[in-house]
Amino acid sequence: MSSDVTCEKLREVGPELALGVLPGRERAGAVAHLDACADCREYIEQLTLVGDGLIGLLPGSEPPVGFETRVAQSLTQVTPVHEGHAREAPVPRKGRPGRARMRLVSATAAAVVAIGFSGWAVGSAIENVVAGPATSAEPVADMLSGDLTSVGAKGKMVGEVYAHADPKGWVYMTLDLPHAGTSYDGKVVCFLERKDGSTVPVGAFSIRDGSGSWGAPAPVDPSALSGARVTTPDGTVLARAPLSQAGPNE
Amino acid sequence: MSRFRFPVGRLPDEALLSGLATGDPELAVTFVRRFQHTVFGVAIAVTGDPQLAEDIAQQTFERAWRHAQIYDARRGSVRTWLTAIAHNLAIDAVRSRQPEPVAPEDLESILGVVSDTPEQHALADEASSRLREAVAELPPEQGRALVMAGIYGMTAQQIADSEKIPLGTAKTRIRTAMGKLRSTLASPKRGDHVK
Ligand SMILES: [Zn+2]
Repeated sequence: MSSDVTCEKLREVGPELALGVLPGRERAGAVAHLDACADCREYIEQLTLVGDGLIGLLPGSEPPVGFETRVAQSLTQVTPVHEGHAREAPVPRKGRPGRARMRLVSATAAAVVAIGFSGWAVGSAIENVVAGPATSAEPVADMLSGDLTSVGAKGKMVGEVYAHADPKGWVYMTLDLPHAGTSYDGKVVCFLERKDGSTVPVGAFSIRDGSGSWGAPAPVDPSALSGARVTTPDGTVLARAPLSQAGPNE
Repeated sequence: MSRFRFPVGRLPDEALLSGLATGDPELAVTFVRRFQHTVFGVAIAVTGDPQLAEDIAQQTFERAWRHAQIYDARRGSVRTWLTAIAHNLAIDAVRSRQPEPVAPEDLESILGVVSDTPEQHALADEASSRLREAVAELPPEQGRALVMAGIYGMTAQQIADSEKIPLGTAKTRIRTAMGKLRSTLASPKRGDHVK
């Protein structure tokens, strides 16, 4: 039986729906109406922004000592799976400060099984990062970066590329073609360019109205890479970027 | 052009989120460091329980990590996305733990905090400031209904019970308050893409 919720009724319960407090049965009817009514969807989206904005007014608060380490630890030992699911290592979620150390040890043991890194390397790397000279320097990674420029409208910057080497290669790009007055809809293919002239495909992504951003694992050897490019599936280059190890010796 | 070795701390939020998949400890620490204050703040405001809030904050980061691929920048900033996750988890935790209503003094203090407009928020983006002002201008009973529903996740029925008012009145208060805030946000400024 389809919903008999009218637009008028939806406007009445919309605020509760957007705040997530509409009880189950009413909620089902309202959601069914939204499936069929773009105007009401737009209305709910606006109210959801209001709800998010309200939560955004809450003040920040300092978590307990050790939180950063524990959480970073748990994030680096979960194995990524690319359908949006992941296997989680059995990590105790929290603990009092006195027990953190013990947990760190057992957690790194799990990391060895999960991703094959040296458990101690991961565990102590986090401790080093956390314990590092936080006041003076931000953490620095083995990172290449560059500005994507449009091939059509020459010289116009249309995005950024970050390529990261350790411990697993990873490339992240943002693309904003309209910034150069062009646009494109559909699939784009990304490549890394190597100094020897070869290219390495990173992946294909969909963009809408010429913009998007994505990240993907990729082999990143900082000494061999020279740039990145984004093309259409038929090979037309949309944008390219030189990549440099943004280092002090450049 | 002189560039410095690229500090992870300057990666855009979205890049950092995406980079968590590498398992890189520096990216993970940087990500947590950047958002923990916000995430824990939401969790503690809703639950009032530091231990539970810590648990929720940790789950928030884990969930964000697992769902990093479905994060859609068009729908809001990484920060907003994280606060929404933390908020949902906190509401669930509070609902399962204690069906009793929020203490009046907690309610008043949260209402005070979200409608507090002085200079300390000078750095906040314009949309937040306008929203804050709009909350401050609500009649107290509407402000309370808004906070009860929007922050504590109370249903209209629970609000009615707590305030000893008819259900219809509770619904009207929520609706009226939300309507005012919505028209506040609907003014010309589009999107809040900060650089
Ligand atoms: Zn409708």
